[in-house]
Amino acid sequence: MGRVEFVGVGKQYGDSGAGAVQDVNLTVEDGEFLVLLGPSGCGKSTLLKMVAGLEDVTSGEIYIDDRLVNYVKPGDRNVAMVFQSYALYPHMTVRENIGFPLKMHKLPKAEIDRRVTEAAEILGLRDLLDRRPEQLSGGQRQRVALGRSIVREPAVFLMDEPLSNLDAQLRVQTREEILKLHARLGTTTIYVTHDQIEAMTMGHRIVVMRSGVVQQVGKPQFVYDHPANTFVAAFLGNPRVNLQTGAIRLEADIARFEQGEVSFALGPALSAFARSAGDGAEVALGVRPEDISVEHAGSRKHEHDALVKLPATITLVEPVGSDLYVRATTGTMEWMARTEARLPVRTGDEVTLMIDLTHAHLFGEDGMNLEGAAG
Amino acid sequence: MGAEGRALARDPQPKPGRFGGKSLYTIAIYVILIVAVFISLLPFGYVVSTSFKSTMSLFSYPPDWLPENPTLDNYRNLLNRYPFWRWLFNSFVVAGSVTAIKLVVDSMAGYAFAKMRFPGRDALFLVVLMSLMVPFAALLIPTFIIIRELGMLNTYWGLILPGLASPIGVFMMRQFIESLPSDLENAARLDGCSEFQIYRRVILPLIKPGLVVLGVFTFMTQWTSYLWPLVVVTKPEMATLTVGVRSLTSTFTQDWGLNSAAAILSMLPTILVFIFLQRYFIAGSIAGALKE
Repeated sequence: MGRVEFVGVGKQYGDSGAGAVQDVNLTVEDGEFLVLLGPSGCGKSTLLKMVAGLEDVTSGEIYIDDRLVNYVKPGDRNVAMVFQSYALYPHMTVRENIGFPLKMHKLPKAEIDRRVTEAAEILGLRDLLDRRPEQLSGGQRQRVALGRSIVREPAVFLMDEPLSNLDAQLRVQTREEILKLHARLGTTTIYVTHDQIEAMTMGHRIVVMRSGVVQQVGKPQFVYDHPANTFVAAFLGNPRVNLQTGAIRLEADIARFEQGEVSFALGPALSAFARSAGDGAEVALGVRPEDISVEHAGSRKHEHDALVKLPATITLVEPVGSDLYVRATTGTMEWMARTEARLPVRTGDEVTLMIDLTHAHLFGEDGMNLEGAAG
Repeated sequence: MGAEGRALARDPQPKPGRFGGKSLYTIAIYVILIVAVFISLLPFGYVVSTSFKSTMSLFSYPPDWLPENPTLDNYRNLLNRYPFWRWLFNSFVVAGSVTAIKLVVDSMAGYAFAKMRFPGRDALFLVVLMSLMVPFAALLIPTFIIIRELGMLNTYWGLILPGLASPIGVFMMRQFIESLPSDLENAARLDGCSEFQIYRRVILPLIKPGLVVLGVFTFMTQWTSYLWPLVVVTKPEMATLTVGVRSLTSTFTQDWGLNSAAAILSMLPTILVFIFLQRYFIAGSIAGALKE
C-alpha cells in the first residue's frame, strides 16, 4: 500500500511573506508514478520534503495510507527518498550504505544480508558491494541510492531530481531503469523534476507547479494537449509554444484573431471559445511549433479549414538534426515553427507559414485557457 | 592513444632545461629551506647537547656544541631526586582528559550550531564567539575564585574544567560540520536515525580530520599550559610538567643541564603524540580511497 493524500497543504517560511507551497489538494493513488514538475523555486521539492518529514507542514494535512503523518518522524513514515546529490554516506561501503536503514530499524543481520544482496542483484551492484561511494561513477552512485531506498520496502518512494547530476546518455538509461524498477515493485512514487521530458515519459500523471501553486494535474499528454493556462503551455514543449497576444473580432459565424495589421479566422472550434470571451476581448493565441509548417515547392500539407496561411520572412534557421527550427515574422508577430529537417530555407527567405489551429488554444486576459472556461 | 602517442611517451631523450631555470629555482628553494631548518633546529640541538653535559663543562668558553664527556647524570638526577614521573602523569591526565572531553563536547555543540534549528541559535553562537575575544589573563582571577569555592584547588578537576570552556573548538567544529551537505543528515533521518545517531554514525566519522586537528591543538595547548596550573596547584605532587620543570630553578641557582634534561623528556611525549596523530590524520583523509 502507499496512498498519499494532501489536504490543503501549505508551507510558509517566517511569519509573513508568500508561502513556498500554497493549498495543495491532491491524492496519489497506490502504485502511481506521480511527477511534480516546475521551474526551480516553484515549491515542488518543498512539497516532497514535507511528505518525507524533512520540512514542517505549516497548514493542512498529509496522509500516508490514511494515517496523518504531519507529526510523524521521517524514519517512521515508511517512505524512502532518493536525493539529487545521492547523499550516500562517504565513509561506508556500498553494502553498508544499502543496509544502513535496515540496521537502524534493528533488523537481524541475516535478514539485512539477504535484502542487501537482493537489492544489489536487482540493480546490478553485486560486484561493487565492497567499494566506497567515491570509487563509483555517477550512474553507479545513483543505483546505490536507489538500492538504499528499495531495501526498506517502503510504502512510498520520494525522488528529488535523481537524474539531474547525470550526463545525457546516462540519464536516458537510468530513466528506463527507474521505470523498470517501478514496474517490478509497483511502489507509489513521487518524483520531482524540472525536466519536461522526464515528466512526460515517466509520469502516470504530472503536477505542474509555479510559485508554490499547483497549476494543473493530469496525464502528461492531456496536460500537453490541454494546458490550463499560458504558464503550463509555455513550460511544456520544446521549442516553446507560440503565444500571440491580440484581440477577438466576432463575425456572423466565425471569430477572427487580430494583431495590428494581421488578422485571420480562427476556425469553428476556437471560434466557440472566442465567442465566450466576447467581441474585442484581449486574448493570447497559443500554437505549438510543430503545428506550423513552412510552405515550399515540396511540402505536402493538405488544406483544411483550420489552416491559416500567413506570408512571413525567415529570421533564423536552427537545424537540430531530426528537425529544423525556423523563426519567422509576420508584421509584429514572431513565430517559431518546427518543421522537417533538410527543408531548403535560409534566413531572409520570403515564405508562407501554414498554421494548423486544430490543437491551438486561446487564453483569456488572466492567462487561463478559454477551453476550460467554456467547458 | 595512437602509435604516434606511444612513441612520444617512450622517447628516452632527457627533458630540455634539466639544469635550466626551473631546476635552479628548485635548488634555491631547497637551500633556503635547509638554512631555515638549520636555524630553527639549532637551539633545540643545543638543549639536547646541554642535557648531556656535566655541570663543569657547562660554562666552558667558547661553548662546546657537542659535550666533550657525554654524561647521563642530568637525567639520573632528574628522575631520582624529583617527582618527574608524577609530573608527567599529571600532565597526561590533564591534557588527555581535556582533549577527550573537548572533542565530544565541541563536536556536539558544533553539530547543534551547524545543523539544528532552535530559537536563539545565532544569538547564542554570537555569545560563544564573543567569549573568544576575552583574554585568559582577564579571566584568571574569577576562574580561580570559582574553582576555589568549588573546593577544587589541587585537584585534577580544578586543572581540567577551565580548559574545557574554550570556545575555539566549538567554532572550529561548527565550521567543519556546516560544510557537510544537509542531504546526508536528511538521508540518515529518513533511514531512521535519531538526532544522536546522526551525530554518532554520520557526522562524527566524516569530521575525523577536523577532530584530529582539534585534538592535536588542544593537547599541545594543555601540555604547554603554565599559568593556570601554577595558580591552581600548590602541592608538588599535583604539579604538571610545566610547573614542575619551572620549580627546578630556585631563586639563586639554575642548573642548566638538569633543566635541559627535563625539557627534552617533557618534549618526547608530545612529539610521539604528534607523530601518531599525524599518521592517523593522513589515514583518515584517504580512508575512502582505499579498498578494505
